[in-house]
Amino acid sequence: MRDAPISSLSITAERLRRSEIFGELGDADLAAIAKFCIEQQFEEGEAVLSEGAPAAAVFVVERGKLALEKKIQIGRHSTPRNATIDYVEAGKVAGFSGLVEPYVYSTSAVCLEPTRVIRVDGPVLRAYLEAHPIAGLKAITAVAALISDRYRHSIDTLTYFLSVVSHELRSPLAAVENYLQTLLGGFAGELNDKQKRMITRCALRVTDLRGLIGDVVDLARMRPEQIQADFEWFDPGEIGTESLEDARLAAAEKGIHIKVEPPPKFEPIVGARRRMRQVFTNLLNNAIKYAPPDSVVTLRAWYEPDTLYVEVEDEGPGIPPEDVPHIFEEFFRSDNVSDTPGVGLGLSIAKKIVDAHSGQIIVKSLYGEGGASGTRFTIAIPRNLQTPEMRRREWMMTGNA
Amino acid sequence: MDKQPYILITDDDPDILENLTTILGTQPYRLATARDGKQCLALIKQEQPDLLILDLLMPRLDGWGVIRELRSDPQYARLPIMVLTTVVEDASRRRYELEVGMAMDVQDYVQKPAKPTDLLQHVEKLLKIYA
Repeated sequence: MRDAPISSLSITAERLRRSEIFGELGDADLAAIAKFCIEQQFEEGEAVLSEGAPAAAVFVVERGKLALEKKIQIGRHSTPRNATIDYVEAGKVAGFSGLVEPYVYSTSAVCLEPTRVIRVDGPVLRAYLEAHPIAGLKAITAVAALISDRYRHSIDTLTYFLSVVSHELRSPLAAVENYLQTLLGGFAGELNDKQKRMITRCALRVTDLRGLIGDVVDLARMRPEQIQADFEWFDPGEIGTESLEDARLAAAEKGIHIKVEPPPKFEPIVGARRRMRQVFTNLLNNAIKYAPPDSVVTLRAWYEPDTLYVEVEDEGPGIPPEDVPHIFEEFFRSDNVSDTPGVGLGLSIAKKIVDAHSGQIIVKSLYGEGGASGTRFTIAIPRNLQTPEMRRREWMMTGNA
Repeated sequence: MDKQPYILITDDDPDILENLTTILGTQPYRLATARDGKQCLALIKQEQPDLLILDLLMPRLDGWGVIRELRSDPQYARLPIMVLTTVVEDASRRRYELEVGMAMDVQDYVQKPAKPTDLLQHVEKLLKIYA
């Protein structure tokens, strides 16, 4: 990077006027802002700003093209990679984090070709906009629109991408899984014991992979409003039974006994039935996965006047206290379970679903308490949620009143 | 002796077709296969099957299109259809309702991958009910 020859103030002001966040400002404001701008020239491949660094400046692209990149790291030990999420061309702005708290860049911006930018000093610009509230309001309104646009663009791209990827990934897996099941079923001739064992393992690994793909796709497209659109009345006892059925095989393989402590009577509640089943199943599978062989996993449920509580408790190694705040983060896995397979999405999914129900998911780790171990997850779901139909009717009545 | 039930399997994935014909071929069924929705409809017009096993996401004409075509023709309105797909059932039904404005009228919905024994049970049951 090198500083470019200085343009006259009026030229810089004119270039700012053509950019997406200063376009509405008056001549006097533009001329004042131009005073604390410098022009810079970057070569192809150079980074204009880096993700995670303090956002010291806002950049207006004059010429050239930047790629906005985000660091992606699956788990804590893998190599981080950069993924391009958007492009910034002439007249567009990179680094608006310089105007928005906490003043840290949320992406990196790398030049795809030789690029010339106007660097606007962040703290000085902020001070100017605060001292000139009319200009400040105009600039910040433009920034808000920009952020909202970028957010919508990311969500749309992601949803489209996932719907394509999901089918493309599932289809070949389904074909492989079908063949394996057909071989195992003896439909293509008898297998000897060793072949049978190996193919059983293949089938299990493929099933795991299919589950993982489902989880990744689910997690990314699971938005509260989508979950809430599926709210209906259902019997929590029924989905409890279904989840137990989902988990039974895995429990049997480890000799784990699932102890069920239901309430005296199940009352229907409103929620997204299929998603709540996913929560129960994820928590049960999670408990079974980390519990020692031949131990007990407990599933209990009870009602309080406003809330349904469901609890899953295991006798596993527990969660180290320093990891507790992180367990609902995507791809997080505790160090003390690195030998157990999984990528750490089940709990993030469960939390997203419970959050969409205005509920709570609480974890209590018995790690190290007097030699005890184990983990207890408690879910609290409000009993006053409404189906879309109930919301519509209430809205009509309020409207009529 | 009863006539052999005639089953038409439609899927764009040749591996799925081979697999399904291997499984169903162990039973006294007469089988035919189609690789897309248009070929499926053409075969149905040649000879009406006792059961149609139908994938949804296919080129030329997808499975929802096949269902729509068949249900709008009185001759095929009661033809038993078993959807066999990777698409989740509620998403699939919602899409059909949005496009066609009517509920998706199929006799069975099985998500891939289906276990061979489950598949055989489903087929046998459908053939018995809709014989």
